[in-house]
Amino acid sequence: MINFTQKILYHFKEYFILLSLVLVSLFFISHSDNPKAKKLKAFALANFAIVEDFTSSIFSIFIKDESIDELRKQNAKLMLELEKSRKAKRENEELRQLLALNDTSKYPLVAANIVSKLANKFQSNFIIDKGYNDGIVKGMPVINSKGLAGIVMDVTKDYSVVKTLYNTSLNIAVNVRRTNVNGILNFNGRNLIIKNIPTTYDVKEGDVVVTSEFSTAFPPFVPIGIIEKKELNMLGLLHTIYVKPFSDVNTSSFLFVIKVVPSKQINDLEMNLIKKP
Amino acid sequence: MINYLKPILIFIPIILVQLIIVPLISIYEIVPQLILILLVYYTLIGGQIYGMILGFIVGFLFDLFSGGILGSSALAMTVSMFILGYFYNENRIQENTATYSFLVYLLFASIIYSLIYSEVGNFNPDTRLRVILFEGALLPALYTTLFGILVVVFQSKRKFE
Repeated sequence: MINFTQKILYHFKEYFILLSLVLVSLFFISHSDNPKAKKLKAFALANFAIVEDFTSSIFSIFIKDESIDELRKQNAKLMLELEKSRKAKRENEELRQLLALNDTSKYPLVAANIVSKLANKFQSNFIIDKGYNDGIVKGMPVINSKGLAGIVMDVTKDYSVVKTLYNTSLNIAVNVRRTNVNGILNFNGRNLIIKNIPTTYDVKEGDVVVTSEFSTAFPPFVPIGIIEKKELNMLGLLHTIYVKPFSDVNTSSFLFVIKVVPSKQINDLEMNLIKKP
Repeated sequence: MINYLKPILIFIPIILVQLIIVPLISIYEIVPQLILILLVYYTLIGGQIYGMILGFIVGFLFDLFSGGILGSSALAMTVSMFILGYFYNENRIQENTATYSFLVYLLFASIIYSLIYSEVGNFNPDTRLRVILFEGALLPALYTTLFGILVVVFQSKRKFE
């Protein structure tokens, strides 16, 4: 019996090895969000990111300019304020000063360099050189000087992983600014799309798409992009909307983390509502 | 163990290059997989079991260092090296690694790798099959194969010397 088992194991050893390796891989895939797996990932990331940071700094040594960094930061701040002002102006016009719900708080920004990129068609991630030592927390939104870039997914002491707009696992509550139509934006491997928008809704090509007030992950009114085209579904009742992003996330080398955690956003909003008579 | 240690030490700087320099030459988010080129080379030299185990270790390291889904690259590399292992022939190692047949093996392994990696990493059920097959698998595989020419040229030069 033992001989027979040994023979089987010997003759089919490649299949047994394949099976065990596949099972281990599947175990890790299914337990990717497990705290222990995250701990292991954070440990590896923290150590390897130091080497990545050093290597990428060698490449950028000749183009590094502090004044450019500062200007980019100012640009990102102005972009956020401009978007809020536009929203406030539109609200003021609509409500004729009966309501004033615009939030006047300013978002604190943390500038970060991209250390490395996982360039992939379906799971695009960046590693940035800011971690919980800089006050970064999982779930904080990330922008560049033109608009939304992604969200902080994992945080270590000095580095963080950012899930970009071009990641199929990221779903964002968005709003078409002109007509206040809400939807969910995601990446389908080729385009950023908003699905299931009724054809009766007033949505035009060229309309600006921003993050929605209903989003629990992102602060409201962060610009994302413009509507590029609309596509009717088979029944002709719903539209799929294609969004062209403002920010070319994949060519960015510099990002800003908005130091706002989702729960604080909800708290601020609730506080604003309580304050109003 | 020593058989695995030396390649792993070679793979670590390749992972660095893959994550820092390779994104700079991406075309519409399509990048060549330099890690896979070396892995195919080692599998054609060392055989199926060697390739599978090495693929798993390197894939796992890539997942850890890149911040991607843990296990996705390990799975894709293990399976692709298992299939590629059937083309291993100890009497034809030189022909397999120093001639243009290496590029055929590389293209084949790259398609399998990219297909599995894209499928595991794709969370959107609306993604069209042709996007996964064409942009997720075939185009990255072709781009990777293009870089494989360097290995063939280098190996044939060594053979000539």
